[in-house]
Amino acid sequence: MSEAYFPVGPGLGMEENFLSLDDILMSQEKLPGRAESALPRLAVLLGQGGGSAESIPEGSKLEIPLWLAKGLHDSKRRIISVELPKIYKEAWRTVFSADANVVDLHKMGPYYYGFGSQLLNFENPENPEIAQTILQATGAGSVLPVSDCVRSLQTFIGRFRRIMDSSQNAYNEDTSALVARLDELERALFQVGQKGLNDFQCWEKGQASQITASSLVQNYGKRKLTEVDG
Amino acid sequence: MEPAEVEFLAEKELVTIVPNFSLDRIHLIGGDLGPFNPGLPVEVPVWLAINLKQRQKCRLVPPEWMDVGKLEEIRDQERKEDTFTPMPSPYYMELTKLLLNYASDNIPRADEIRTLVKDTWDTRMAKLRLSADSFVRQQEIHAKLDNLTLMEINTAGTFLTQALDHMYKLRTNLQPGESSHSQDF
Repeated sequence: MSEAYFPVGPGLGMEENFLSLDDILMSQEKLPGRAESALPRLAVLLGQGGGSAESIPEGSKLEIPLWLAKGLHDSKRRIISVELPKIYKEAWRTVFSADANVVDLHKMGPYYYGFGSQLLNFENPENPEIAQTILQATGAGSVLPVSDCVRSLQTFIGRFRRIMDSSQNAYNEDTSALVARLDELERALFQVGQKGLNDFQCWEKGQASQITASSLVQNYGKRKLTEVDG
Repeated sequence: MEPAEVEFLAEKELVTIVPNFSLDRIHLIGGDLGPFNPGLPVEVPVWLAINLKQRQKCRLVPPEWMDVGKLEEIRDQERKEDTFTPMPSPYYMELTKLLLNYASDNIPRADEIRTLVKDTWDTRMAKLRLSADSFVRQQEIHAKLDNLTLMEINTAGTFLTQALDHMYKLRTNLQPGESSHSQDF
């Protein structure tokens, strides 16, 4: 069944894939921010205060999902300003560069790479790093997203070996401990590695040439149809 | 691609058999085979050799390289070198499996051959992982893997290309080009 099913994968760049379920879930993650202007009659929605007529005062702290932050963020009209979540800040970036393997990216993420890439969209003019960009005169892009991205790239490279080794060596083992600390992207990669290994081992044992019932069909047999209906 | 499909390609390799029947030259789409004479060696594709063997119509002659001495040499050479060494056949793993499964009675010291080929495979896969790691670490964009066989590429291939694809995307984020400003109206 899985061969005939082509889900839309995550975008992993500056742009998400519109129909990717992973990207939709990723863009729900909350982002710390601040209202730069008063937002009338939105206090209820954003969980600040009670009455529906209440407005969000200028400068109040907000936790907004990424999709909303992307929509409201504009370098010219200041509606909101976005802050970096703490795992993308300097302190955590140092941890990642020290040893990327010790970090539990599933707890931090679970879409660490995708979310980090999306954060590059917020070129906030008030960031001192942006001033530095003008200083460096590199034109497009700011120092902040670049350094940010170098880290997440290093994180990926640093963790690559471990994912490869564990996915290609663990045969017929319980892999839940191995994938517990992996980001969603890394988990997908781990599954691909496992599939390569498993397919090869099956072939070597001669199981590939035997025809077996689909696991789906086997599961159907366990319960009678009437029970499923009832 | 699945290992079975790689095996399908491997079955096109030629092996020598000694038939115990006689048959005129047969004309197949991929080339002519035969004539078959009892006791006289003839070259046929592996798929036909296995089929004839199962019908007890031939005896299989193991390929020249399927020999304990030669395979030990290959294994030692593989362990010594940093890069991949040329294999005796582009489908050494598949041929070993097929021939040993269906015609182990015609191959002398079959168990030792199985162990040696498995050792060589393990050495090469460990080497592949090592070189993939340094490839990623140095952020290279191309590599040359001349002597890798299809089965080896196929086992680690999807994983590797997908990982490199992710890496490429994360790296292009470093150079925000025109596309990154599509949000500015």
